[in-house]
Amino acid sequence: MPFTAWSKIVKDPVTIKDPLNREAAPRYRGFHDNDVDECIGCGTCEAICENEAIDLVPVDGIETKDGDSGLRPKIDYGRCCWCALCVDICTTNSLRLTNEYTWVDTDPDNFRFVPGVDEKDWYEKEDGWRKPVPNYHFYGQERVEMEELPAEARGDSFIEFVKGYSKDQAQQEADRCVECGICIGTCPAHMGIPEYIKTIRNDDMEEGLKILYDTNPLPEICGRICTHKCEDVCSVGINGDPLSIRWLKRYIADQVPSEQYHEILDTQKIFKGDTKIAILGSGPAGLSTAYYLSLLGHNVTIFEKLEKAGGMMRYGIPEYRLPYDQIDKDVDYILSLGVEIKYNTDVDAKMFKKLESDFDAVFISTGLHAGRSTRIPGSDHKHVFQSIDLLRQITAGEEIMVPEKVVIIGGGNVAMDITRSMARLQKIKYGKVQTLATSLESEEEMPADREEVVEAREEGAIIDPGWGPKEIEIVDGKIKGLHVVKVLSVFDEDHRFNPKFDEDNKKFFDADMVVESIGQAPDLSYISDELKEKLELGPRGRYLLNEYNQTSVEWLFAGGDIVVGPDVIHGIADGHKAAVGIDNFLHNKKK
Amino acid sequence: MNEILDKIKQKYSAEDVKVQRTGLAFVTVNKDVALDAVTWLRDYEGYSHFVMMSCVDWIEDGKFQLLYLLHNPVTKTDVGVKTLINRDNPAMTSGHHLWKQVWTYQRELKEAFGIDFPGSPRVDENFVVEGWVDIPHMRRDFNTKEYSEETYFPRPGRETHDPATYMREQLYPNQPVTAKRKDNDK
Repeated sequence: MPFTAWSKIVKDPVTIKDPLNREAAPRYRGFHDNDVDECIGCGTCEAICENEAIDLVPVDGIETKDGDSGLRPKIDYGRCCWCALCVDICTTNSLRLTNEYTWVDTDPDNFRFVPGVDEKDWYEKEDGWRKPVPNYHFYGQERVEMEELPAEARGDSFIEFVKGYSKDQAQQEADRCVECGICIGTCPAHMGIPEYIKTIRNDDMEEGLKILYDTNPLPEICGRICTHKCEDVCSVGINGDPLSIRWLKRYIADQVPSEQYHEILDTQKIFKGDTKIAILGSGPAGLSTAYYLSLLGHNVTIFEKLEKAGGMMRYGIPEYRLPYDQIDKDVDYILSLGVEIKYNTDVDAKMFKKLESDFDAVFISTGLHAGRSTRIPGSDHKHVFQSIDLLRQITAGEEIMVPEKVVIIGGGNVAMDITRSMARLQKIKYGKVQTLATSLESEEEMPADREEVVEAREEGAIIDPGWGPKEIEIVDGKIKGLHVVKVLSVFDEDHRFNPKFDEDNKKFFDADMVVESIGQAPDLSYISDELKEKLELGPRGRYLLNEYNQTSVEWLFAGGDIVVGPDVIHGIADGHKAAVGIDNFLHNKKK
Repeated sequence: MNEILDKIKQKYSAEDVKVQRTGLAFVTVNKDVALDAVTWLRDYEGYSHFVMMSCVDWIEDGKFQLLYLLHNPVTKTDVGVKTLINRDNPAMTSGHHLWKQVWTYQRELKEAFGIDFPGSPRVDENFVVEGWVDIPHMRRDFNTKEYSEETYFPRPGRETHDPATYMREQLYPNQPVTAKRKDNDK
């Protein structure tokens, strides 16, 4: 203290406690408050804070779950400068600064607290700084629109109608990502989404491809038809459009020619040991298992029932959504790693038993290729088809029946695939579309992706949901149409499938042909009774699997649609887990 | 107010004239006439009170934008005069002769942005920071975070979590990671 200060020792202090307890200005930036129920713990507040004043910490009573890290920001007021950047970047608009600015405490540790969780006096104050909305954003709110062929140009052809992003478009879209990584938890394969989006911003496609293949060896395919649940939890999507994660993935894969894959992914030479693994089915789970097992040095043989690889991706998903050459690009790369594939090989129980002795481990991923029937009167007519059979025939180039009027029963993605395929075939044959799809589920409940329903309607199909099929009317051996009644509810209070109908509210859909698309079932006839007895069952009568998709019979692993239901990315994730499980199993066996 | 704005447009070729709200307007003029415009507003239009002076770093354009905010106590209106100067070797004619408090603002701008105001009294003296050796701290290319990390110690007991890593630990700790097996990994 300078000596001059001692002269003031008997004087009254210059600063005094504010006797009026004056309120700060309405937009004053004081202490934080956070609506912790709205906050998802994305950490953008922490990332933007130039003073490193914010930590993300677990909080009692807030669970980590899909779309919420379970963490909440904790502020260190020893470093906060009240700039409010944390508020301005907040993806949920949950964080704000109140206009409270006075706080006296003798314990410095009290100046670190979790706003909205630790009790403070100022949460009641409505005034303070909030992100001014709308029109004030640190990142783009609207996604870069994907160019598509208009309905009139695509309705009579099976060519791919989603054009893909240009470099400028992809970089502009990638620039909207806040890199929180909340999406990674929701992706079944837990892909490094923010990391590969970053490679687009940096225009480093080689790095991007490497990141994709770390968790997903089918990027061209997933970049087109993934169910992209990651986008449902995108933090940018809470107050804007979510990132187009799927299209960005496609962009990376599209940029790299297949000739460069081996060099970029460092697979020109792969060490192979003497272990042999059989895989049944070359769908996403089978291919994913084959890829990761190959990297680990195992010899893989895939047994495929059909003429080409890809399973439901090739024989279920129409070409306009997923062109065959793009399937080939992903599949050929996996096969080029030394994976053997035996086409047109239908494995029966006898052959399956032989696999047990010829191979060290077996992975089954035979998918859901048997259609389920409604079993309503008339459903055994020869012109009542299963969607899955028709889609397979279309892919195989076989001629199928294309009448003037078609009714599809079903509201899922497969139903939309056959609806749009039949609409195209009608347009080509008759120049007009008379395809109608109906489902038990209402418009809001339909399990199909929204864009599928919208695009089907754009292409001229009628989607009339909320009706229950009662009978297919047949006159003189020919189908006349489908009788339906109004559905009141599909699920009961316990969310079980238990549809209720209003029998008085009827409708009749004219049709020459009916296609059933209400789900698929597996064909596991290759599993002998003897083996079945050894396989432990889990909940819902499914085969019990451990975390590596290993059954209770240690050499047998399972994955894909037969385990998790129809979804490509789930199948890929299953395949990866099973490959690691098989590797561990063989490693332990060797010891 | 519109009349004054029209005059500024005519006399000083003002551009980007914007009425922010009733009683508050901004104009942008060339740096060579910026102080002339400020002087004219003070001496002829009643904007006798100098409110403040500020700067924005438009690093992408290679410019600093200076703002002189003036108040007319009779009409209770404010006019902000903006001007752009080059970011390289930035200098601006001093306005210290117009109001004495301009000295202080110019001294602050010298320290925070490195803008020189030749002839402004005490312009080279420290304003807030002492012994500063880095680039001026309000320039956008000054890395505040790096500076805090290098200069200040972290408070004991602080701990943070990356959301994606934390979610993996909580929800899917057994995420498979597969790298190519090399010959020597046998």
